[in-house]
Amino acid sequence: MSEDGARGLLDPGSPVRGHYEKLADNLLGMGGTGSVVVTSPDSGAGRTSVCLGLGAALASMGRRAAVVDCNLENTQLHRMIGEPNFVGLTSGLDDGKTLEHYGYEVIPGLLIVPTGPILSEPASLLEDERIKMGIRGLQKSRHLVLLDAPVAQKVLRSPSLLGGFDGVLLVVHASRTPKSVARETTDDLLEAGANLLGVVLNGCT
Amino acid sequence: MLVVGVVLVLAGIALLFGLFREPVYTAEARVSIRPQEELEGEEARLAFLESVRGAVVTEEMMREVRRRTGWEASPEAFSERLDPRTVVNTGGGSGLQIRFSGNEPGQAARAANAYAELFVEGTRNLDDRPLSDGVPVAEASVEQRALPGGYSPRPLIYAAIAAGAGLLVGGAAALILEGRASGWRGVRDAELTLRVPVLGTIPDYSSKRAQG
Repeated sequence: MSEDGARGLLDPGSPVRGHYEKLADNLLGMGGTGSVVVTSPDSGAGRTSVCLGLGAALASMGRRAAVVDCNLENTQLHRMIGEPNFVGLTSGLDDGKTLEHYGYEVIPGLLIVPTGPILSEPASLLEDERIKMGIRGLQKSRHLVLLDAPVAQKVLRSPSLLGGFDGVLLVVHASRTPKSVARETTDDLLEAGANLLGVVLNGCT
Repeated sequence: MLVVGVVLVLAGIALLFGLFREPVYTAEARVSIRPQEELEGEEARLAFLESVRGAVVTEEMMREVRRRTGWEASPEAFSERLDPRTVVNTGGGSGLQIRFSGNEPGQAARAANAYAELFVEGTRNLDDRPLSDGVPVAEASVEQRALPGGYSPRPLIYAAIAAGAGLLVGGAAALILEGRASGWRGVRDAELTLRVPVLGTIPDYSSKRAQG
């Protein structure tokens, strides 16, 4: 999605805002969902868009939210909001400070935390215990922290993303994600013990 | 739709094949053959029948069978349509079952009957001559003459079989395509496929923006 498109999701007049508010309602209604890993069966399903739209909807509903970019191998979030990636998740973990100081409050109530500079092995960074502590620290000031995670196959290989947070939200694209791949992914996630909260059907016509 | 399409195509092809294929009529005659001595066991009786057949059926006899049938095509084509089998019944009776598949019912019956009659004549000419296993023939007769009839191609049966095959092939293809398809038909479809709740549906943002 282009920067304009992503910014449009933050706009209170966005034509899809109502759909995101409904999603936010459903998610909050489940209870105990302070930190949610957002993944998808394949790339291009719209994980980052869903994170931004959901985060913006939560903020507009008076819930403080944060989106943390965990795509350490393919950073996207900062580009979509048109901000630099000089500081972010990795810098916050290195400094041992709350992630509140390493992001951008793009609209009131929504903090966007980019990856920050990636200097070491991205996969091992995700397994670092500090990432859980960093997210927990952020939860103190945010009702809901959305982790914009890599595709499900990578999440399955990361015990930290798979079971370290309150649940997993799977984004499926209505016209791009093959049914068999989506089915396989949900089966794999459930088999691996993930708390699969549900699915977002993105790009419906 | 796919399943119905495959069923219709296959059934249609089978129907056309059945309707436009050259018709084949099968007629059957039976010859009873009894040895002079009682033979023990099915194998012994079959061996006896084979030895009788070996002694009776000659090229000359076959030429006469073709002549009586009114056969004009090649002898090889005639042999392909002729199916004489030695049979041993559980009740003790044994003999020859002659089937012929012709282009018209009369021809099929003529061929089967000609073979049966000439075979019986041939066994009489053997007199009391012992065959290879040492047992001569006591009596041979035409037990059942072939009657014209027995139309074998059945277009409707072919079409029904093809429709059944179409159901299987179409069903399998539909299942495979459904699995590979990426077109989700909505929340219910997603929940049934994935067996997890759908928490939200987000419309195609670009089309919404274009409309907006």
